[in-house]
Amino acid sequence: MTSASATRPVLLDRVDGLRHIPTIPAILAPLLRYLQRPIEDLEVQKVTDLLSQDKSLAAQCLQMANSPLFGRSKTVESLRAAVVSLGFRQVGDIAMSCGVLNLYPRDQSGLDPVVFWEHSLGCALVCRHLADKIKFGDPGKAYLAGLLHDLGIVVNLWVFPQEFRVAWELGKAEGLPLHEAEQRCMGFTHSDSGRLLAERWELSPELIEVVSHHHCPEKSVENGGLVALVQLADLLCRMSGLNYGYVEEREVNLIEESGFALLAQHSATLKDFDWARLTFELDSYMDAVHSLVRTIYRL
Amino acid sequence: MTTAPSLRQSPGMDGPPEPELVRIRDVVYRNAGIFYPDNKLQLLQDRCGRRMKERGIPSLREYSHCLMVRPGCHAELVALLNEITIGETCFFRNQPQLDALLRVVIPHIVQAKSHLAIRRLRIWSAGCSTGEEPYTLRMMMLEDAALKDWSIEVLATDLNERSLAHAQEGLYSKYSTRNLTPFYRSKYFVQQGDKLRLNAQARSHVSFSRLNLSDDSRMTFMKSMDVIFCCNVLIYFDLASKQRVIQHFHHNLLPHGHLFLGHSESLFGVNEDFRLVHLPGTTSYLKAERAPLGGKLL
Repeated sequence: MTSASATRPVLLDRVDGLRHIPTIPAILAPLLRYLQRPIEDLEVQKVTDLLSQDKSLAAQCLQMANSPLFGRSKTVESLRAAVVSLGFRQVGDIAMSCGVLNLYPRDQSGLDPVVFWEHSLGCALVCRHLADKIKFGDPGKAYLAGLLHDLGIVVNLWVFPQEFRVAWELGKAEGLPLHEAEQRCMGFTHSDSGRLLAERWELSPELIEVVSHHHCPEKSVENGGLVALVQLADLLCRMSGLNYGYVEEREVNLIEESGFALLAQHSATLKDFDWARLTFELDSYMDAVHSLVRTIYRL
Repeated sequence: MTTAPSLRQSPGMDGPPEPELVRIRDVVYRNAGIFYPDNKLQLLQDRCGRRMKERGIPSLREYSHCLMVRPGCHAELVALLNEITIGETCFFRNQPQLDALLRVVIPHIVQAKSHLAIRRLRIWSAGCSTGEEPYTLRMMMLEDAALKDWSIEVLATDLNERSLAHAQEGLYSKYSTRNLTPFYRSKYFVQQGDKLRLNAQARSHVSFSRLNLSDDSRMTFMKSMDVIFCCNVLIYFDLASKQRVIQHFHHNLLPHGHLFLGHSESLFGVNEDFRLVHLPGTTSYLKAERAPLGGKLL
């Protein structure tokens, strides 16, 4: 096994490998920039036109807009209808989700890309829901943070496929958290490699912190609350079946996680939050996440 | 009454869930602590449908009124809960819960007690009904290599004497043995007509007794438990009685002890001494020794 052959300096040496990672589809940047304008300045037609420039992305967005996960009450058959019925913010979330789904190398052995994106999408939805329930900031921002938190896994799959596979198999065999298995086998984790890509892509400082510290939110400098929110949502997903394709054989007590105390500083309602109910609700939407991601992957 | 927004709309149904059904879901959760996620709302609707048929109530709206407002609403809630839990009992009913017990909880207990001279594990099935749960636990413990040198006791209690008599007879129908794997079926059961009878090995060290969980004096004698299973029993208790029973469970458990409840059953708002813990694919309540942050049960 090549365990521990790749260490942090190796990671930095191979940073050029990041060039091989596909970028988020070109139309997403202008679309997301446009959606940041005040809502009264936004036009349905303009958003529809921007999305329509990438046919594959447009088809995926339409599929996603029709998922119960995005609260559709009736089927929408055109992008325009999707924008009207879901609103600008949700369409932005959907477009970003589809764009990010396309980053993953499809012919992988080991961690199944479908399983990985089910985890990312699940985490995004839990982040949004949790942010809304505990009145923590902008749920749209929380969604994006949940969606992108594991960007480093994309890096590991493109740049360190052999080493990452060994780490994933160790995690699976021993029921270990993936970042612990990566640390053991590779000498760094997806948080380290994700940070490099997040910086290269010039993501916002808060997203860089989420990608870098979602397993140790106490290391965050300025965005501890958001990073902590992602840590807790990530843990819930991993323990509830939206994991990395294997079961982590351990017991998780959320209030003992560093993220809980950190998030509690930002949300007075956190201590009264019903985690049991959220867990049961997560159970209910797993089926929808599975079916949506599988459908989109076929497009 | 406020209705909490759910993570999403119901995927198993056409369009968003019916508001009356969501209201009934909230009443059931608030009073009984059992939660129907959106993808299981159809089940709740079916259960309500049976009660509506029985009582000749034409609409869900009117039925929800019966549950919340009309005189006798508590009796109707109990009748609905009976519909909800009917036919629930079978061997290996909640596999994720049993897997978590075996793979995570038992190894923790074995480690915590490894320094003790007497290696003993005590599991209590509180509200054991006709015995499927305690016998399942006993068979699993017999198969766990980590417990090879351990003395295992499964205590099983129920209020209903007929259920206990059934349990002690150890004779089960096809329905309650539907989840048995061929391994367990052949190793621990013998065919008797169209039923299966448990053999002596599976029945050894499982003791049945009648116990009312509201009987404070007897509850104090259930000491030194490592794990308590109490599935779909507390849903029938009012808040004060539930709090008393849970407080007893807290005293009955050893410091590392776990309390397992039924699928989608919660203690939120009931007790602050237990902590919700997440295990693979399931949850349990851990006896907390220290006051949790913020002093609240998760």
